[in-house]
Amino acid sequence: MKEVCRETLQRAYLYLDGEMLSVAERREIEVHLEECAPCLERYGLDKEVAQMLHRLRNNCQCPDSLRSKISGIIEA
Amino acid sequence: MAEVAPVNLTEDERRRFQEEALPMLDSLYAAALRMTRNPADAEDLVQEAMMRAYRAFDRFEAGTNLKAWLFRILTNAYINTYRKRQREPQKVSSDEVEEFDLYQELKGRDGEFGRSAETEVLDGLVDDDIIKALDDLPDQFRMAVILSDVEDFSYAEMAQIMDVPLGTVMSRLHRGRKALQKRLWELAKDRGIVKDQKDKQKQNGDT
Repeated sequence: MKEVCRETLQRAYLYLDGEMLSVAERREIEVHLEECAPCLERYGLDKEVAQMLHRLRNNCQCPDSLRSKISGIIEA
Repeated sequence: MAEVAPVNLTEDERRRFQEEALPMLDSLYAAALRMTRNPADAEDLVQEAMMRAYRAFDRFEAGTNLKAWLFRILTNAYINTYRKRQREPQKVSSDEVEEFDLYQELKGRDGEFGRSAETEVLDGLVDDDIIKALDDLPDQFRMAVILSDVEDFSYAEMAQIMDVPLGTVMSRLHRGRKALQKRLWELAKDRGIVKDQKDKQKQNGDT
């Protein structure tokens, strides 16, 4: 893998995670992803797996028994 | 567990804990379940963390990040109490993880499918596969991935929750995601979504 690809993908994590990047840095990543199909695909894969994980949020709820146990202790 | 109500909380603090901390129970339970990997331990862990949080709530600075504060207590409780009695997840070799490239693996398989291998493989994996892959990660990687990708915490919040420098957060998250992709790929092979190369070679050898 080319050095520019490696560096871009490292920073693409920050981009994906909405972490602080300057406008210029964001632009640099966008330009590279537009020009480099493998990097764009790798970025897309990372993004898709992150979204699959995000779906797990809705996958389970705190059991009612635990919720009432905790509320009970607090209200006591 | 001693369930003694704290004497040092004011009525106002007590009410705020009910109104602001209790609604986070779903998030806390979901994270606890992924940390402990079983419902009974997850319930104990959440209860313990909430009791600790309640007793310490007078020290929580109003207006700061309550969710991060609660998750830090949850994480500490897990590390101090539960991790010791948990089964140790499989060891992940760092080099292997660093070198794993899902893109290359998928690219090599495009011929197996009518559509792109990426779509076939990712669509073929269900939530239980994701959970299984996550459950197999070593603790530190698993925590980083849960906090970031499931719970949406920022790197700075994660540094606070896991009590490690920002650079450590980033490296754990990066390696955790790589390790997860590697595990998902292995599961895709186990489930027959993609053919195992060894089987393929055997087939080719037979014909």
